[in-house]
Amino acid sequence: MVNEHLLNGVMFVEIALLVLAVGVFFTHGLWLFLNHRRVLRLTETARESLARLVTRGTINVEDIELLRQLRHDVQVTVFLETSRNLTGSGKERLRFVAHEVSLLDRARKLCESRLWTRRLRGARLLSRMDVTDPIVVKLLADPNAAVRAQAAEWAAAQPSAAIISTMLTMLADPATQARFAVQDALLRMGTMIAEPLAAFLETHTGQPAESGMRVAGAIGSAAFLPAANRFSADEDVSVRVAATNLLSAIGDVSSAERLTVLLKDQDLRVRAAAAHGLGRMRHWQSGSQLAECLRDSAWQVRREAGLALRAIGAPGALLLRRALKGDDRFASDMAQQVLDLPEAAAAL
Amino acid sequence: MNDLLTAAVNQILIKGQFVVLVYFLAVNGWYLVLLVSSLVEMRRHMLLIADESRHLLLSSTLSPSISIIAPAFNEEATIEASLRALLALQYPSLEVIVVSDGSKDRTVEVLTERFDLVPVKTIYQQRVVTKPVRALYRSATYPSLVVVDKENGGKADALNVGLSFALGELVCAMDADTLIEPDGLQRMVRPFLFGTDVVATGGTIRVVNGSEVKFGRVVKTRVPVNPLAGMQVVEYLRAFLFGRLGWNRLGGNIIISGAFGLFRRESVLSAGGYLHDTVGEDMELVLRLKRFSYERGGPGTIAFVPDPVAWTEVPESMKVLGRQRDRWHRGLADVLWRHRRMLFNPRYGVTGVFVFPYYVFVELLAPVIEAAGLISLALGLAFHVVDWSFAGLFYLTAYGLGTALTAFTLILEDVSFHRYDSFRDRALLFWWALLENLGYRQLTVYWRLRGLLKFLLGRKDWGAMERKGFQKPVGAVGTH
Repeated sequence: MVNEHLLNGVMFVEIALLVLAVGVFFTHGLWLFLNHRRVLRLTETARESLARLVTRGTINVEDIELLRQLRHDVQVTVFLETSRNLTGSGKERLRFVAHEVSLLDRARKLCESRLWTRRLRGARLLSRMDVTDPIVVKLLADPNAAVRAQAAEWAAAQPSAAIISTMLTMLADPATQARFAVQDALLRMGTMIAEPLAAFLETHTGQPAESGMRVAGAIGSAAFLPAANRFSADEDVSVRVAATNLLSAIGDVSSAERLTVLLKDQDLRVRAAAAHGLGRMRHWQSGSQLAECLRDSAWQVRREAGLALRAIGAPGALLLRRALKGDDRFASDMAQQVLDLPEAAAAL
Repeated sequence: MNDLLTAAVNQILIKGQFVVLVYFLAVNGWYLVLLVSSLVEMRRHMLLIADESRHLLLSSTLSPSISIIAPAFNEEATIEASLRALLALQYPSLEVIVVSDGSKDRTVEVLTERFDLVPVKTIYQQRVVTKPVRALYRSATYPSLVVVDKENGGKADALNVGLSFALGELVCAMDADTLIEPDGLQRMVRPFLFGTDVVATGGTIRVVNGSEVKFGRVVKTRVPVNPLAGMQVVEYLRAFLFGRLGWNRLGGNIIISGAFGLFRRESVLSAGGYLHDTVGEDMELVLRLKRFSYERGGPGTIAFVPDPVAWTEVPESMKVLGRQRDRWHRGLADVLWRHRRMLFNPRYGVTGVFVFPYYVFVELLAPVIEAAGLISLALGLAFHVVDWSFAGLFYLTAYGLGTALTAFTLILEDVSFHRYDSFRDRALLFWWALLENLGYRQLTVYWRLRGLLKFLLGRKDWGAMERKGFQKPVGAVGTH
């Protein structure tokens, strides 16, 4: 019924496939085993050489030669793991050695590759070694989002005016991955981005402004106050929420005043953020407004108001206890829950 | 008349055999496409994560907050170790919500004693209808720990209660017997950072049986010697590494394991949370989220992370495994039936045109066709309608090609994560891959057929899942 040739053919193909699979699987296993042992041995020797070069500060030609002749993957592993634990002059010496063994040249070449995967590897290497190189700046405008994100990670340790300016424009990056990396990098640069970021917020709106405010919120400088005030009246709810969070991060008298106004915003997310912010600031002067928020129609607002009252200390506790006896059951229940919370869980 | 009838039966048997043969060829051909797709995806993934500094994510205040929802039912013996492992997960903004689903043992008392719990006023924003909550506790030592004691309502109900208490942007739903890798959440959250359209992510779940577990962590991976567990290791690898990863590349994942999945909280709540009246609540939720993304707009990508992020204990007894597979298949049938209007519907894009039909014709109906093929082959041989050479061809096409594909999945695992590194483990893996076609696979066909039949009869029971437990201290928050 079935042609014998067909049957034999199918059988032959399947046996061949299986034999091939078995061969590849076990050969790969053997290779992994042998390679692992070899890599371990090489890594150990390389670590010792690199440690000598980095700690003594004197150049030992033999050590340099040993590192130069190392397998590329082992070389990268050893340099990267050492790099994690070094700063200042130690890291400087590490970079010098990396340069001597041509590791940095190779990374630069990778950055110029036409393949995005290689550019990513190159950027990662230069980034982890904290190498200042204009070639990575170019990668901030790379067509691939992963490469741009990696370049942004590198930029966190290179906070020059030009780089900060480029990074700020990247807050409008269409790729979430790159945008996240840029925000994170700007945040790591710290207070030195306060002024340029404030200027950026003055001239931008919408999503870039929202991204910028998230970064600004983590810095909390008073330089952002005009922008925070302006955006707290924005039409877009998520922008208003970001502005409210920024106001609470700034935490001065005028931002507290604005937050008190925002407790009456039409959107519950803004009201909740404002209550949270006032609690974070321990702004006891707004206690009565917060107590009023315990009667809010939105659960989130009531909860944030309750937590805020608890955070502001004795005056807040007094208002919470008063709410317990009030005629509003929702306010009373929330006050009870907040008062029941252990200290650790009530912290904002 | 008799001759005519015999001739007709013979014709049916022969033609039926050929139909089944072509079906197997088509299915294995599609599997090959999935395998190639997963190879491409895996290579891309490995290049992306090589030398990546995930620790940056750990320290970033911009990382999305995650609420882990851990349903627990009569877990007094394991809850402490499980919860300590969860609280020690490496993630910057983490909340852990343990939902005791009407436990009849001392689960809540153990938690209260060991985690310094204090009762607080039980009010919360109920956005999904659930069984009543009996009590709410907060820890005086662990600010991110929330414990909810509720009336028994099943896993879906417990997860829905957890959703009402969760404050994180993302919620992580986990299953019984799940051990999460310390950096599992960091790996799982990546797709959310890299795309605004992502609504849920799932990761590779591995089989923990046979491996060494200490303090809720897998410290040494080993392939189990128990045949049932061993063959499930191979099955899991195949399902995750070339099934889901392959679909990931083709843009059509619709399954996230109930053992461990990460979801956008707001999307899950807007969709109405988990359904109570299905045994396939995990798949149902994912398919509903996907469907709503087409109907209402909003995020709809179901991303799959190939990294091994969690471990689960699989049944080692035929009875329990049979019940599990029966339930899985009933769940699949139920979910596909509920969302049947997606079938071949271009409104639902790739999901409607390719993925849904695949799940209907390959995943759901495979046991029916496979059983029909095996039965008619046996009859054909008995009545000398088909010869042994045809039977050989049938077997080779149905199972031989499958074994070859499984073998390539093992290679895929080996070149990517190579968690099974000893010669013993390799040999065992291959052995189980070869052996699964001789009886085990036919058993799963039987169990799945039973599930299909029960679905048609309207049965919705879960069946008890007995767990052997890990080496002490045991490690999983679980349910039912």
